Amino acid sequence: MTRSRGGAVARRVAGHLIRGLVMVWVVATISFVIIREIPGNPVQGQYESLIQKGMSPEQAERATAVLYGFLPTGSLWDQYTGYLGSLLHFDLGRSLSTPGVEVTTLIGHAARWTVLPVLAGTLLSFLLGVTMGVYAAIKRSGKLGDLLALSGSLLHGVPVYVIGLLLTAIFTTLWPILPSGGPVDVEFVPGLNPGYVGSLLQHAVLPVVTYTLASYGGWILAMKSNVVAVLGDDFILAAELRGLKRGIVFRYLARNAILPLFTILALSIGMLFGGSIFIEEIFNYPGLGLLLVNSISSRDYALMGGTFLVITVGIIVANIAADLLYTAIDPRVRSGGSA
Amino acid sequence: MTTSSPAPGCPAPSCPAPGVRIRDLTVVYKTPVGELPAVSGVDLTLTPGTITGVVGESGSGKSTLALSLLNAVQPPGRIKSGTVEIDGLGDVVKLGGEQLRQTRGRKVGYVFQAAQNSLNPLKTIGKQLLDLGRSHEVDDLRALVRDAKDLLARMGMDGARVLDSHQHELSGGMRQRVGIMLALVLNAQVVVLDEPTTALDMITQATILRIIREVHEERALTTLVITHDVGAVAEVADDLAVMYGGRVVEHGRITEVLGAPRHPYTQGLIRAIPRLSGDISLARALPGRPPTLGTLPAAGCVFRERCDKRMEICETVEPQSVTLDGRTVACHAAGRPLPLVKRKEYA
Ligand SMILES: Nc1ncnc2c1ncn2[C@@H]1O[C@H](COP(=O)(O)OP(=O)(O)O)[C@@H](O)[C@H]1O
Ligand SMILES: [Mg+2]
Repeated sequence: MTRSRGGAVARRVAGHLIRGLVMVWVVATISFVIIREIPGNPVQGQYESLIQKGMSPEQAERATAVLYGFLPTGSLWDQYTGYLGSLLHFDLGRSLSTPGVEVTTLIGHAARWTVLPVLAGTLLSFLLGVTMGVYAAIKRSGKLGDLLALSGSLLHGVPVYVIGLLLTAIFTTLWPILPSGGPVDVEFVPGLNPGYVGSLLQHAVLPVVTYTLASYGGWILAMKSNVVAVLGDDFILAAELRGLKRGIVFRYLARNAILPLFTILALSIGMLFGGSIFIEEIFNYPGLGLLLVNSISSRDYALMGGTFLVITVGIIVANIAADLLYTAIDPRVRSGGSA
Repeated sequence: MTTSSPAPGCPAPSCPAPGVRIRDLTVVYKTPVGELPAVSGVDLTLTPGTITGVVGESGSGKSTLALSLLNAVQPPGRIKSGTVEIDGLGDVVKLGGEQLRQTRGRKVGYVFQAAQNSLNPLKTIGKQLLDLGRSHEVDDLRALVRDAKDLLARMGMDGARVLDSHQHELSGGMRQRVGIMLALVLNAQVVVLDEPTTALDMITQATILRIIREVHEERALTTLVITHDVGAVAEVADDLAVMYGGRVVEHGRITEVLGAPRHPYTQGLIRAIPRLSGDISLARALPGRPPTLGTLPAAGCVFRERCDKRMEICETVEPQSVTLDGRTVACHAAGRPLPLVKRKEYA
């Protein structure tokens, strides 16, 4: 039995990987087409402007290839395979707006400012939403339950940038206790000293709280309805009729109600990644979202395509992780059985 | 198997089976038109050490009555009045909180009507068994597991494999037998089984009922078996209670009730079953449909609409239960000689 379970897990992971690779390929192709076919073809434009600046065609060709990851001349097919080939070597080309710096370097720097706050926000909102969802379900005929459910519905309906703007208005203008933007105050020496770390955390508060509030509403509503549904399941009544301790019955209830949430965990993380575009702009936070926005406004196509690709990969990885988590706790999936 | 009871409950034969006395029990469900009774003024005594069968069409209040034995009627229902006295426990209607929890499972074993769905889908049967043991402070969990395997083996299953399985790896019939095992494994002295064999084929059904009978005798239990199939309990029960519209309309020794039914409803039920009426050509379905909470008449006899002995008094006066020679019947027409079809002998 154990072997067939292992096999089922391996099959799921393989399926995810294949789907993921296909998605990466599709996104890569799309960004290739955008860079190549956008009006005023930037690759061609770059090539020509370099020649006008006095470069030889060979030099200009090499310089452009470095910038975009593919040759400015040659057949479409050669350009395309060249582009995919450099992707395989994790070469996303060089940035135009930060001349000479590799796109992967820029993305690597930006990623931490997005990934950590998004994960922190996801974790916080999950814990908070699930706990409050259980309360809202158990106290659903009382005032507290109504209030909790209402808070969920309200937050669920508000777009993330509105939450971000409101928080900025409140905590940096009306009641200025938090820094209004940026990742950290410049006066501190980077490193593990209290001043720097404190400043980092202070600056992270508003972005993380915004991420948290953005998905809290979804969690509390989903958890509440799951708990109510499981409460009506026969096995909960049966557990009570067998005289199981309250704590044990509660664990039966909670585990069964939380389980379906893991299927939307990946979705939620993906949404927050998307939300980072607004949130990082509001808080001037140097993450992937801001990088993408800046690359678009400065027509830095290599950077744009690369960032977009990395965000896609991030969402795919989140999907696989969430699915594996789900598999680890649901025996019905684990055994590959038809439940 | 011999009884190697680790004795969380009370092992036979050191303590006598408890008696159960239900008195004037009324259970109501809240509906849009107010609270309506699903069980009305029921008096029922379970003699210590006997198996009592409860039969009646769907909706007659059997499950509601059974849940009352554990003070477990679910909202929107509630026990409106009456008492359920169990020897050694007192009136369970007055129990609450921790005391009630400890009674459930340990003192009164219960097989849920939907026993196929009575298991946590995320845990193996073995882990749920351990949860049960820990909830009732069983010291020797190994002995508990051994007893569980024995019970499962008696019911024709591979105990070790079943304990290792999740619910989704078992068939409906297997889950139902697991439900029975969980109700018996703590050696509760009162056992309530609500339609314990519905998901089983005829042969397994007979086997399971026989095993319930065996365990019942080994441990000197007081057992209540609910079913809508009179034929199924005929083989195992000592007493039979017949329910209609939330009332126990007839109750007595099963041989006597089936051999000489006095209530017109009991007669109709028996006539409807070929294997009891003895002759297929004489089997006749009971005319009409059973009442629901909303269609129960407010006054008079609840069965009169479908009754072939109906009299004028039945329209206005509810017949009282009358006990004669250990037989209780609630019918204005009972006591008169009634024509009976040819039938099998049950003694
Ligand atoms: N939760 C409920 N809400 C309203 N009515 C109910 C509920 N449960 C049972 N009833 C009604 O109570 C009556 C008795 O039900 P039940 O005890 O389940 O009967 P049985 O077990 O004999 O089929 C039925 O008319 C049924 O419709
Ligand atoms: Mg029932």
